Amino acid sequence: MPPAPAHSTPAKSTRAWNHWFARFGLAFALLVVGATLALLQPQFLTAANLLNVARQISINGILAVGVTYVLLTGGVDLSLGSLVALTGVVAATFAHPGDWPVIVPITVGVLCGAACGAVNGLVITQGRIAPFIVTLGMMTAARGLALVVSHGRPVSNLSEPFVALGGNVAGFPVQILVLLAIAGVSGLFLANTRPGRYLYAVGGNEEASRAAGLNVPAIKTFAYTVSGALAGLAGVLLAARITTGQPNAGVAYELDAIAAAVIGGTSLSGGVGGIAGTLLGALLMGVINNGLDLLNVSSYYQQIIKGVIIIGAVWLDRRQRN
Amino acid sequence: MLEFRSRFFSGMPQCFRYLLVLALAIFCGCDQKAATRQPGAGESKPLVIGVSLMNLASEFIAMINQSMEAEAKQLGVKLIVNDAQRSPERQVQQVESFIAQKVDAIILNPCEVEASSPAVTKALAARIPIINVNSETRVPPTAFVGSRDEESARLAMDYIARRLEGKGNVLMMQGFLGQAAQIKRDQGAREVLKTQPGLKLLADQSAEWDRAKAISLMENWIQAHGNNINAVFAQNDEMGLGAVLALEQARRKDKVVVVSVDAISDALQAVKAGRLDATVFQDAKGQGSTAVQTAVKIVRGQPWQTQVFIPFQLITKENVGEHLK
Repeated sequence: MPPAPAHSTPAKSTRAWNHWFARFGLAFALLVVGATLALLQPQFLTAANLLNVARQISINGILAVGVTYVLLTGGVDLSLGSLVALTGVVAATFAHPGDWPVIVPITVGVLCGAACGAVNGLVITQGRIAPFIVTLGMMTAARGLALVVSHGRPVSNLSEPFVALGGNVAGFPVQILVLLAIAGVSGLFLANTRPGRYLYAVGGNEEASRAAGLNVPAIKTFAYTVSGALAGLAGVLLAARITTGQPNAGVAYELDAIAAAVIGGTSLSGGVGGIAGTLLGALLMGVINNGLDLLNVSSYYQQIIKGVIIIGAVWLDRRQRN
Repeated sequence: MLEFRSRFFSGMPQCFRYLLVLALAIFCGCDQKAATRQPGAGESKPLVIGVSLMNLASEFIAMINQSMEAEAKQLGVKLIVNDAQRSPERQVQQVESFIAQKVDAIILNPCEVEASSPAVTKALAARIPIINVNSETRVPPTAFVGSRDEESARLAMDYIARRLEGKGNVLMMQGFLGQAAQIKRDQGAREVLKTQPGLKLLADQSAEWDRAKAISLMENWIQAHGNNINAVFAQNDEMGLGAVLALEQARRKDKVVVVSVDAISDALQAVKAGRLDATVFQDAKGQGSTAVQTAVKIVRGQPWQTQVFIPFQLITKENVGEHLK
């Protein structure tokens, strides 16, 4: 790195710093938090623990990737947590030993999530109802449906191959591999393909997108369908991890997912953000969670600390952008 | 009168007329219903009991509900069952509507000690007997049917003390902080720890009654405390099963005793398979049926007890067979 010229004005160096921070600020924050935890608790930096962190963030990470699609279009999806419960229960009912090959419950779970997402998208675009309201309605309805499907009881006694989805493949937890694959594909799709850029366009300026000839309702519906399908995938993985389909699983998961995306720099008003940031956001939340448990910080204080960090991260981010 | 009515009617649009007629019809209908509910005629009509449950999505509450339905059928009583879905506010509204429906008795499975109390106050003010089942409210109801939650934790901790021969490190998974069950199970566990100087509480954290959260917490504890962990007490079975899953994945289950509370069917299976060391049976069936019996006794003026405690029972591999049916 060449040394900075001695005569550079303070304003110029501030701007360079801002630019640097906007790009790498979150990674830097993650590094600081990680280093602090490693100093306080040597156990933090072991391979086994880092693998734990990765495993623990993967469900939230998959949901956060899905909700990023929706946030980019300027919408929001509050139904994710309930969809996790619904799809987990639905998948579990197809996953009893000797019932079906394991691909069936996975497919059914993902399709069920995608269908609910598509309903969200269609009602929002065709009915012209605010996404907040529609997905709030879906949140309640999907939770009810999960209870109906499961008769209010956990669906247990799941087949070995299904439960194996919550285990390891070649030493790596399956759910981490799934998250990496989903994030990789989504990152490339959003950043490098024409349809991917359309999502940004719709969120950035809906009127202009329409005037430019984009099919805005179709693009939005697509975003909600992806979000629903990924919630379905998360539901399947969660059911495998806890070896049951739980109708009351996933409460408030949507908020963690939205928080991860927003910490990662995705704007709630649409058009700005991306998958790399979302992943870092989910990672930061996971590291903090893990670290506070390792340090045995009281559950009461954990909640306060997490809240402060969410607000702090977004505040820093906004300050740098302005 | 007739003339007045026709003039009255002609002065308003068609749809309003229908609405008015409809409203009148409903009003008269209600009046008739109220009339048949007078004492004397009441003997032929079945008793009606309004039930407001904390959360039907919980397997344990669903079990209480099933045994209440069964008992009600046997006694020829009609139940109106509402699910408050963990919202004390919704619960109070449900009790208000029971009062408006003039039910004979109310069975309340309170969401919360403080916030569900107005439901009890309102029922008592309307002179409708109210029976709390499973959990308590600050305001004393007509009768309480349940179990002493401290006792369940005491049984579990005593078992851990026996298994570790009074010496070792224990972790405790708390329920949702601030709920009655969490507070009391915490209290019961700590009472035993006080009498057992050899047992050390390494750490305690909340996993919010949730299996997925319990897996993560246990994974983190394994990292932080590793070989020092001798036993885990989880305040419910969901969390206990989560702890078992994490310990199995880390291949440490054989070194750690895991005990939890509630005896849900998944937990019983796990005890039978030797994965979970013990669970504490809280008699959902006994609580549900006794609550309905108590309500009927009160309404019929038969003698009844203001507090009925259904005992807990420790379940290990030795006696799990009796509970697996």
